[in-house]
Amino acid sequence: MSIVADENTRVVIQGGPAGVNAARRMAEFSYLIKKPFNVRAFVFPPDAGKTVDVPFGSETLVVPIFATIQEATKAYPDINASLVYIAPNRALESAMEALKSDKINLVSMITEGVTEKDAKILAHEAKRMGKVYNGPSSIGIFSAGKCRLGVVGGSYENLILSKLYRPGSFGVITKSGGLLNEIIWICSQFADGVTTAVGIGGDAYPGTDYVSYLEMFENDPETKAAVIVGEMGGNLEERAAEWYGARKRRIKLLAVVSGFCQEVLPKGMKFGHAGAKEGTRGEGSARNKSESLKKAGAIVPQTFGALGPAIKQTYEELLAKGVIKPAKEISAEQLPKWPKSIDEAIKNGEVMVQPLFKSTICDDRGDEPVYGGYAASDLINKGYDIPHVIAMLWTKRLISDQEAELIKRIIMLSADHGPCVSGALATILAACADIPMAQAVASGITMIGPRFGGAVTDAGRWFKFALESNMSVEEFLAYMKTNVGPVPGIGHRVKSIHNPDKRVKELVGFAKSLGRPLPHLEFALEVEKITTAKKENLILNVDGTIAVILLDLGFPVESLNGFFILARTIGLIGH
Amino acid sequence: MAKVLEGPGMALLTKWGMKVPNHVVVTSVEQLYHLASANAWLNGKRLVAKAHEAIGSRFKLGLVKVDLDLKGAEKAVKEILGHKLGTMTISQVIISEMIHHDVEYYLAVKSTREGADVLMANFGGIDVESRWNDITRIFVEIGKSPSVEELEELARTAGFKADMAGQVAQFARKLYECYDREDGQYLEINPLSVTEDGELIALDMVTMLDADARFRHPDWNFTFASEFGRPYTEDEQEIMEIDSRIKGSVKFIEIPGGSIALLPAGGGASVYYADAIVAQGGKIANYAEYSGDPPDWAVEALTERVCSLPDIKHVIVGGAIANFTNVKKTFAGIIAGFRNVRAKGKLKDVHIWVRRGGPYEKEGLAAMRALEQEGFKIHVYDRHTPLTDVVDYALQGEK
Repeated sequence: MSIVADENTRVVIQGGPAGVNAARRMAEFSYLIKKPFNVRAFVFPPDAGKTVDVPFGSETLVVPIFATIQEATKAYPDINASLVYIAPNRALESAMEALKSDKINLVSMITEGVTEKDAKILAHEAKRMGKVYNGPSSIGIFSAGKCRLGVVGGSYENLILSKLYRPGSFGVITKSGGLLNEIIWICSQFADGVTTAVGIGGDAYPGTDYVSYLEMFENDPETKAAVIVGEMGGNLEERAAEWYGARKRRIKLLAVVSGFCQEVLPKGMKFGHAGAKEGTRGEGSARNKSESLKKAGAIVPQTFGALGPAIKQTYEELLAKGVIKPAKEISAEQLPKWPKSIDEAIKNGEVMVQPLFKSTICDDRGDEPVYGGYAASDLINKGYDIPHVIAMLWTKRLISDQEAELIKRIIMLSADHGPCVSGALATILAACADIPMAQAVASGITMIGPRFGGAVTDAGRWFKFALESNMSVEEFLAYMKTNVGPVPGIGHRVKSIHNPDKRVKELVGFAKSLGRPLPHLEFALEVEKITTAKKENLILNVDGTIAVILLDLGFPVESLNGFFILARTIGLIGH
Repeated sequence: MAKVLEGPGMALLTKWGMKVPNHVVVTSVEQLYHLASANAWLNGKRLVAKAHEAIGSRFKLGLVKVDLDLKGAEKAVKEILGHKLGTMTISQVIISEMIHHDVEYYLAVKSTREGADVLMANFGGIDVESRWNDITRIFVEIGKSPSVEELEELARTAGFKADMAGQVAQFARKLYECYDREDGQYLEINPLSVTEDGELIALDMVTMLDADARFRHPDWNFTFASEFGRPYTEDEQEIMEIDSRIKGSVKFIEIPGGSIALLPAGGGASVYYADAIVAQGGKIANYAEYSGDPPDWAVEALTERVCSLPDIKHVIVGGAIANFTNVKKTFAGIIAGFRNVRAKGKLKDVHIWVRRGGPYEKEGLAAMRALEQEGFKIHVYDRHTPLTDVVDYALQGEK
């Protein structure tokens, strides 16, 4: 047997992420003891209607989230306990909701920082209803081999090390969460382990006190001895001593109390849990608690360190008397292993997973993205700019600062061209129709084609063709006239040789000032000389200029339109 | 428990309709001048000036001056402001009207597990301690409040005569209301007295409120004061500030004169470590604790404060077997802290003692052990060494 929680305990968890984390720990234990998962549902109004995935060995269980306790217990009528992980300002009403359900008999509150008034109200109400309200600030309740409520017990490894997969003979009650786990471990090493271990929380007024649980342990035939870890402050240890001393008890009682250091510390200095707060003399002091427990017949070691040997001695005496039968040990091989996560296995080099697709430009497997072999933060710290990142991701090449400057200027000059172009119009129209940003911008992008922006790629393709084919300007124009039509990148509706496009002048001037070879640009300017002689508006336009400059920087034809899309997106977002 | 200083304490009583002496809190002499031009009582009445800080035995330290006129009060403010006590400087003085009184009564409301006790006596002041058993009390169950009739009955039992019993009952009723509505833990008025006009007045008080209840009291415009007879130090305040904005917790209190620094995990285990040091005759240099899987940077900040304490010989990095605190991550914070303070020339001859278990304990403990390569005097133990044995190892080596 056990107390408070057993194999029939079915849980609803009230709360968000902290509750989900606890559920995952609880699933590990259910898996270890080969029992069904004991968490039925979550109640968390903000996420009502959604579900939570909980790993259960190599399977994944799906647990529903409800808005109210009533909905949860209606869907799962076997729910009989609630764990509360709701923030302090709503903890009272949440726990009260659970207490008021006629299905739920146990409410254990993990929330820390609950006001004393709220905790007192809950304790009072639970008592009136004949239910158990445990906590607040409780780490949880653990019935070895049967039921885990909360994260108590720690990691999967620790569950095995502390033999929590099978019941022992020692009941444990502590305020501290860490020490509860410590005592569970001690009981597994110095004795045969625990029946139930309860964390009552370190607040001033725990909902359920030592005495209530001692009474339960006394009535649980499997529990042969109880261990309590007390703390200065309050009078719950004194009440436990009174209970133990009141008459002959079946269970042995072992206890330690902390707070002797108070006797030598400055007055008023208080440590540890919220409940550890009272004087150095009289009721509430470590010495008084310790003495009361000793007088009542409990075994009270001088220090925490001496508790292990005391537990061992008690265990051996009870074993000799035949009160405790030696526990049937389960070998580690018989226990299920918790499977490793795939991430962990990959990290250890134990498995190889064929990737769905591979990226050669960006690697996200480390602490931060790596662009073509350079960590993003490195690029930042070494003073590189957005154009460097663009070139790295588009062509896997770390360009020079000079090239970066040219790209920057191209983007700046192409960022927008007013509302009258088809792309901007589409975006504005979409925005006016209350289409969200991403779709409105996309509407504009879809307009990029022969009449809007698309000329960059076309111009690039034909000028590149001309140079690759070693054509003269005349040969090129003749070829275009016969086979293609107007030369992409040449001609403007408004601008002309007498009214030049300032953007083109700017770009060409800067490109030429860099003193690097610009074969495509020079070829295009030669073309312009001939075409403008025929008709003065057949100038090298901005699309053509951008195309030939980018070709001269070594960008592939396929990437050219990318510059326009990138640049104009700036304008479209603005519109 | 969280203590509230006199100024905001009196404001709370006023809020709930109880009479307190006229008072002002000032931070400069100029402020007192200005207030004197607006408040007639400062000119006409006899005054008391007290340091408005969490300091014990203010009277003995000369930080309380009585029976002053305004000139005298100004002189007192000058003397008290800027007065240095250890590392702290007094920055506030409370000036209140001195109430001439013939009678002293006692009234308190104290939170208990099941509700609250209302305590009452027709004597007060320094007599209370010696006559503690003569104080009458009634218990009020949680969710209920005492009626004026019940309180009047109590007042009569306490020895108040007919008319006064009614007045005291009314006053007690207000004090209970204040306790209940303001999330009080302990409200004590001592002495409660009577003005020349026959009105009850709270002359001095202790106000303890539940700091966790701040969320439902947007009008609590005060900070809580320390309870150990000195204000918090800068380092303590910095850790409190970090504690208030993280998941989990970090705590730090300095205890001057100690040589063993504490850096344990867990509100429960940490006190056992302090006990173990005291039991071995050691002197602790601080109290500290981290728990609830706090972020590593918070543990790092705590480590730096702990390891910067003067004249420490040992640092105890203890802890039970954690339930969910990630040992590897929190230890990474501690290790970073160690390195930071050592870079400033500290921790040179300090021995570090580690004992811990919990999630990722192997990795965490291995990282600690590796510090030996960096020249740290570090001793690392795992879950197989009982909780506080590292303290014994540390201190027995000293003997």
